Amino acid sequence: MAEVERSVSDVARTTAVARARAQLSARERIGRLLENEAVFGYLMVAPAILYILILVGYPFAIALWFTVSDATVSQPIGPFTGLTNLKFVLDDEVFKRALANTFVFTISSQLIQMVFGTVLAFLLLRHFRGRRLIRAIVMLPFTVPVAVGAIAWQWMLNPTYSVVNWVGAQLGFFPMLGGPNWLGEEQYAMISIIVVNVWRNLPFTAIVLTAGISSIPQEILEAASLDGAGWLTRWRKIMAPIIAPIIYIALLFSLVFTFTDMTVVWLLTKGSPVNSTHVIASYAFVTGVISGGLGRGAAMSLFLFPVLLVGALMLLRNLKARTLD
Amino acid sequence: MAAITIPRATHGRAFRLRRLRGNILFALALLPFVVFALFPVYWMFITTFKQVNDLYNLQDNPLTFNLAPTLEQVTYLFQQTNYATWAVNTVEVGAVVVAITLFVCIPAAYVLARMRFPGSTSLGIGIFLTYLVPPTLLFLPLSQIMVGLGLINTKWALAVVYPTFTIPFCTWLLMGFFKSIPREITEAARVDGCSRFGALFRVVLPVSVPGLLTIVIFAFTLVMQEYVYGLTFVSASDQKLITLGVVTDLIRGDIFYWGSLMAGALIVAIPVAFVYNLFMDTFVRGITGGSLK
Repeated sequence: MAEVERSVSDVARTTAVARARAQLSARERIGRLLENEAVFGYLMVAPAILYILILVGYPFAIALWFTVSDATVSQPIGPFTGLTNLKFVLDDEVFKRALANTFVFTISSQLIQMVFGTVLAFLLLRHFRGRRLIRAIVMLPFTVPVAVGAIAWQWMLNPTYSVVNWVGAQLGFFPMLGGPNWLGEEQYAMISIIVVNVWRNLPFTAIVLTAGISSIPQEILEAASLDGAGWLTRWRKIMAPIIAPIIYIALLFSLVFTFTDMTVVWLLTKGSPVNSTHVIASYAFVTGVISGGLGRGAAMSLFLFPVLLVGALMLLRNLKARTLD
Repeated sequence: MAAITIPRATHGRAFRLRRLRGNILFALALLPFVVFALFPVYWMFITTFKQVNDLYNLQDNPLTFNLAPTLEQVTYLFQQTNYATWAVNTVEVGAVVVAITLFVCIPAAYVLARMRFPGSTSLGIGIFLTYLVPPTLLFLPLSQIMVGLGLINTKWALAVVYPTFTIPFCTWLLMGFFKSIPREITEAARVDGCSRFGALFRVVLPVSVPGLLTIVIFAFTLVMQEYVYGLTFVSASDQKLITLGVVTDLIRGDIFYWGSLMAGALIVAIPVAFVYNLFMDTFVRGITGGSLK
């Protein structure tokens, strides 16, 4: 009897314990689950991934759909039209011009930036009095908002009141009041756009190079010097290879941003005169936003994508090696 | 004695001459860069404070004040345009963007910097690559999404979109900060019974305040600078942010209000330039994805 009683109370006790444990674990299970590195990790990255998927991934998919459909602002979900938009875009003379301009604009800006950026970087590396101030001044174009810089240049290149022409006339380059109409003639407009873009990005190239060069251990350079290596040899054989990855990433960013930017063009010329200075991005803006041709506009925007993709893949290879350290 | 000191003196002079020549050459090499960088800003500055008659006078030297400086253009900016509204809009949108950025970036950067789980490296790189996606690729579909959300032509459309570029940039910057915090601190907290969240909030974040401040400042200045999305989504003047407002509303048809335009531009440019200068090295680290140590 007593034994049975005891066993009954035992059972009751164990079930009570089990129930208590079950209640605890309901609360604790989440806690314990979060102790798992992978679960915690995914949970923490989720907001970032979701944000990017919803506001970058999803729009990108829509852009793809726009490209193959007859979408307009009044009818965003247009019928499927296959490659009609693409064909239209490729037959568009202004687009062809914009495509050529984009390459001319990007490549020449990059080349000029690399050359003068290297020179500026070496100048900034020297220790001299007022170095911080000079550095701040030289950085100004990069630190002011792009749109603000571009509008200042538009005023400097104004057809009537151009201060550039006034200075040029004082120095004897142009007759007084007879300088070029910088933003009104095709070649001059293109030159102006490139100059403004160089003005804006040169500091970035220079600062990245300075940061890279100053991270090179001095001993290596001194040792090379002692061994009789001149500055060109030191640059080619030691400095350039060491800072190559940094230059590479900076160049990639600079390239992608220049290739896809429309701010400078839009604020300086809006594509004028007669649509001769459009880049792909600004013409896509005109077609898609101002004229409301979403399909054609998207087809133009996506023309930029292959370049981005190559850029991204190159960056990926470089970053992967770096983040796995 | 003299035989020794004299050659030394001439050597010293030759050396000093050579150094002087080197310094002059150096200054001459640096000068064009300084002029090129500074001139447009100087031109904005002088335009801001010139009287209108002085501005459009072709006879006098445009580089100096030929009539007394004036605050007319600055007054016009504040009284006759929505400049004050744009400034308020910028602060509001900036605050929302900063909040979203912090909320999303802190957890992501923390685990990506500290933990290894399947796919963590790829996720980190994936977030970084988003920075390469330019506005000009997405502005058309995003404008349709904003129409769908009922946000088109309001500043809130921008508050939703801007985190798409602040998140990648700030996540990578924060990852760098978190990596520099010694692991021992978090491990000690964990041994003392802190949960993973606890370790982040009670131990890691308090020592990362400088890093978090940097993120806040960058997110905010990126908002101040943006132009393309603003141009695409917002056309109502009272919904514009400061940069867009200045470069669109002070141009009416063919008439440019140059003085006020430059005044507005300068007021935006000065604080942004100042902040970027202080944080230039951090900025470079962010954009090069931490490949610079």
